[in-house]
Amino acid sequence: MAAASPPPRRLRGSAGASGASLVATAAVAARFLPVWFATAALFVVASVVAPHALGNTSWSFVLPDATVLAVAALGQMLVVMHAGIDLSTPGVVSFGGNLIAGVGAGSDHRLAPAIFACLGLGVAVGLVNGIFVGLLRLNPLIVTLAVGQIVLAWSSKYSRDHVTNQPLVPSGLSSWATSKPLGVSTVFWTGAALTIVVALVLRYTTGGRRFQAVGANPRAAWIAGLRVRTHVVLAYAAAGALYAVAAVLLAGVRQSIDPAFGSAYLLAPIAAVVIAGAALSGGLASATSTWVAALALTFLTQMLVTMGLSAAMQYIVFGAAIVAGMVVSGDRAALLLGRWLRPVTPPPQAAA
Amino acid sequence: MRRKRLIVVALAIAAAALTVAATASGGGGGSRTSGPSGVVGGAKMIGSGGGFGEIYKAPASTLTHALFHANLLPSNKTARDIALASLGRSTKKVNYALALSCWKNNGCSTGTGGKLTVAYVEGFGENTFRQMSKMEFILEALTYPQIGKIIYRSAHSDLNQAIADFKSVIAQHVNAIVTYPDFGDAMIPVFQEATKAGIPVSTYAWGYVTGPGKNYTTVVGEDTCKLGKAFANVMNTKVKSGNIAFLGGFPGNPLSAGWQTCEQKALNPNINVVANDPTNWDPSKVQGIVAGILAKTPNLAGLSYEDALFMSQGGYTAYKAANIPYQGVFTYRTDEAGMGCLADKLKDPKLQIYYFSAGNPQIRLALTADMMKLAGAKIPPTIVFPIQLQQQTKRDMCLKGYPGTASGTSLIPLSLLHQMYP
Repeated sequence: MAAASPPPRRLRGSAGASGASLVATAAVAARFLPVWFATAALFVVASVVAPHALGNTSWSFVLPDATVLAVAALGQMLVVMHAGIDLSTPGVVSFGGNLIAGVGAGSDHRLAPAIFACLGLGVAVGLVNGIFVGLLRLNPLIVTLAVGQIVLAWSSKYSRDHVTNQPLVPSGLSSWATSKPLGVSTVFWTGAALTIVVALVLRYTTGGRRFQAVGANPRAAWIAGLRVRTHVVLAYAAAGALYAVAAVLLAGVRQSIDPAFGSAYLLAPIAAVVIAGAALSGGLASATSTWVAALALTFLTQMLVTMGLSAAMQYIVFGAAIVAGMVVSGDRAALLLGRWLRPVTPPPQAAA
Repeated sequence: MRRKRLIVVALAIAAAALTVAATASGGGGGSRTSGPSGVVGGAKMIGSGGGFGEIYKAPASTLTHALFHANLLPSNKTARDIALASLGRSTKKVNYALALSCWKNNGCSTGTGGKLTVAYVEGFGENTFRQMSKMEFILEALTYPQIGKIIYRSAHSDLNQAIADFKSVIAQHVNAIVTYPDFGDAMIPVFQEATKAGIPVSTYAWGYVTGPGKNYTTVVGEDTCKLGKAFANVMNTKVKSGNIAFLGGFPGNPLSAGWQTCEQKALNPNINVVANDPTNWDPSKVQGIVAGILAKTPNLAGLSYEDALFMSQGGYTAYKAANIPYQGVFTYRTDEAGMGCLADKLKDPKLQIYYFSAGNPQIRLALTADMMKLAGAKIPPTIVFPIQLQQQTKRDMCLKGYPGTASGTSLIPLSLLHQMYP
């Protein structure tokens, strides 16, 4: 007698095709929604303990600064989607800023070449990282750190030779960065537009979907005929370009370049990406959630300063908030939801 | 696919070419060749006598340039002699091309054949104040023919690296060390190790570490407590009542702790210190912190901080972004030209700035103290300069020809400064 066929496996909680679609949507939302709720909760807490942090003066600093971090984090996000990491961000931002001041030499006529030089630097550094990681298969943590150090050294020399005596960025850039259409910083609008563009490209273009597919499952993507290594190289190059954009925006906000320019962007972009719900092991990520995470981190820092806490307490509270954020992060939420949704195999039925 | 690869390669080459071309053309200005034109000794000399390889005399004009007034010397006689000897050396002709090369390459052989090696080791060297101090150290070292080698190390804000750098120069058997202890008492073990090995260690800019005279040779600087009291005096007379803020450097550094503690105690009860935040002496952080302070206290009446330049950059940007007029009473420890030029540009009578000297030349005293110790002198544990604040409207920090980031009391010749920062 033929053995009975195994009972069909079913997803716990599913109810047919529409149910599967809902489950898939829930799984994605579970990964990326928590940061939105956490940020809203942060604003509620701020309204009670530090209402001044929600005032116009605070936003005049927070929004542009958060946007710069968000743009850098978008670059990091592209790399993380491919299970990589990029520690060359401070180097690119630093050197990019120095190029804005050095090439610009305080003249609006030289602003365009300065911006192109900055963008060129970002792409060049990104391509170097991409070649090392994507083609030569070197460890991204080590190689991007090394490349970043080389770029920082180059930046330091360039700064000493060309920028220290003329650290101001061209006035056209600083005027643009400090203008406020509809009462909100131009830098914010630029960053928001860039975030939306990245989100739309990733989601609704063929290239973007391929990019996501390679990151989600490189082996399957390779089998499907996609050029995995080329996508990795392009991820780092695009990331480098975004770091350069962040440098341009930051230069406009700061209006002058100092030796520590860019130093704050080593781990902060990575923190923003992870808190937004992306997994360091690669896969899907959300540009808009990354932007929100950057806003939350910047606002939290500013809120603690506004509260007048001592430096030690600021570090403690900030660290505790990050840990709390990680506990409720989208990555963990997705993991828990995945466990709940995993296929349930009913116990085998006795043979007739 | 092959076409895509070609596009990627072409893009890479174009990006690299663009960047290289930009860095080659950016900024303009090659090095300037000009003879020494530093502060030349005037007819009147201050001091007399000598010993331990030094002459205790300096031109009055040099003292006035570095200290605001020729009589603002330490009160202790030995400390005063060290100051006169050291500042007097600044007028000696040295090879500025060698000095520039030594500065750019973080060390050099002096070419004199001297047997001594001296080192300047610091926890953080990445701002203009530190780089100018480094040049002052090099210029002072070049006045000693017995010094054959100069070493420089910066730990880039890394404590472990700072300790490793110290141990490294000790292992190289240097003869004297000058340092700024960014990490405070965490440096005591290596200070003791150097002292035990017979290497005098001196600090400057009131880089106070516990045990001067015992754990290390001496600390050079101003009395930071008196500096804080001077700041408080300005706030008490000019602000009278209201909210002010303190900014400092790295958390726990001795310079900030020194003046803040004493200023807080000396303020009258109607003045509230609404914030006291470390900035790591990073102008980017200054902007964020000032923005946070202004968010809560938009009518900030005054602010005390070490660094005038960083307030003219990050702090001023925060005020502008918040649409709050850059007004109030500001007291600073440093005298960078950039702050003075900003004040001149704003021409606002409600912007009142009082400042002290950045003290770049203090590093010269630290080296001279070490050299005198090697010659057998008994060095006082502290070499302390009296405090006299200057008012921007009466003594303009914006000096013609000076880079905005440079302190006007530095003894680096202007021509050399322009070669350092073309």
